[in-house]
Amino acid sequence: MLNALWIVILGMVIIFVVLGILLLVMIALGRIFKSKEEKQEG
Amino acid sequence: MDISASEFLGFLNLDWQIVIMLVIGCVLLWLGIAHKVEPVLLVPIGIGCILANIPLGGVAEKGGFLAILSDAGIHTEIFPLLIFIGVGAMIDFGPFLSQPYTILLGAAAQFGIFGTFFLAYFLGDGWLHVLDFSLKDAAAIGIIGSADGPTSIFVSTTFQSKYTAAIVVAAYSYMAMVPIIQPPIIKALTTKKEKIIKMPYVKGTISQKTKILFPIVTIIVVGLLCPKATPLIGALMFGNLLRECGVVKNLSETAQNELANIITILLGIAVGGLMIGSQFLRPETILVFVLGIVAFSLDTAAGVLLGKLMCVLTKGKVNPMIGACGISAFPMSSRVVQKLGLQFDPHNHLLMHAAGANTAGQIASVVAGGVMLMLVPIFS
Repeated sequence: MLNALWIVILGMVIIFVVLGILLLVMIALGRIFKSKEEKQEG
Repeated sequence: MDISASEFLGFLNLDWQIVIMLVIGCVLLWLGIAHKVEPVLLVPIGIGCILANIPLGGVAEKGGFLAILSDAGIHTEIFPLLIFIGVGAMIDFGPFLSQPYTILLGAAAQFGIFGTFFLAYFLGDGWLHVLDFSLKDAAAIGIIGSADGPTSIFVSTTFQSKYTAAIVVAAYSYMAMVPIIQPPIIKALTTKKEKIIKMPYVKGTISQKTKILFPIVTIIVVGLLCPKATPLIGALMFGNLLRECGVVKNLSETAQNELANIITILLGIAVGGLMIGSQFLRPETILVFVLGIVAFSLDTAAGVLLGKLMCVLTKGKVNPMIGACGISAFPMSSRVVQKLGLQFDPHNHLLMHAAGANTAGQIASVVAGGVMLMLVPIFS
């Protein structure tokens, strides 16, 4: 059962890490494009 | 000549298992046609089930057309991947991109997969040994909680689970039952004050460049961090890139319509062909369906609980009910939350936020499938 418990814990941790990094990358990209568009408009 | 009539008359070969499977096939057809429960899938699955159980018909035996379809599309995992190209082309990730934090709700709502996996393994080889559930079977059963048919098929066939047919039927039929499974859990876990929290939606802040880069970045980030999810996320995001890049309109339309429809027919009838009485009618099959409900319930509860935490951290700006949409049952789950929001306040429209969490759940469930494929062989 211990192996199953490790899978549960590691599984949830990995999901949050992977999606957390994706979130940060998307926020960064969103900001880059937003500032570029603002410069073009300005 | 010594010929027995039972060698060429099908009805002389009927047994209780065949009769029950024929009834199950008819029930699936009835649900699909009369009640419009996921008809696109239940009609082909129902027919496949009937065809596979006609005595002496041979369609699901080696060389039979359902067996050929199953070998070519399910066991090779090609059908779920092709379906995902169509799904990706159909999904507008705009609501998610304008509220990217919803991806955390999608992540939390994958707990149903892991919680159910743990429970199935506990009932099986892990502790009680009352059911024939190996670690890989338990993982395949848990993946019903992805609320995502193609991911369920992909993971269960990769693990060569004995329960693939039951898992796939459960995954698809429970998606239609989301409006029944989710509301009581959402209502029980949220206070009246939380239910009426309004979330204004600002439209049109996402540039087309971001929408085009999103599928490419997702493939690279998810693929590098969780390589086992690459086939699923790659197919899903390829379909989305066809939709968003704007230069291959014909391909996008083909993926959304012709490709998705053809593969749905082939996949559905092939899955039905896996429902052979002697393999399907076991106590474990019933437990697979029960555990499927557990998975959906845990998904919902985990999503709502993270929503409550976000509500506290943002000082009441997040309505916890949208957390329930972290499961990827798109778009049923968003509709459920929109309906609940209106039920408690006729002016509270949560649909776009719910859709954001819902599409985030689609990505999260694929990652969860990849994580299962990565971790289970390591701990087996």
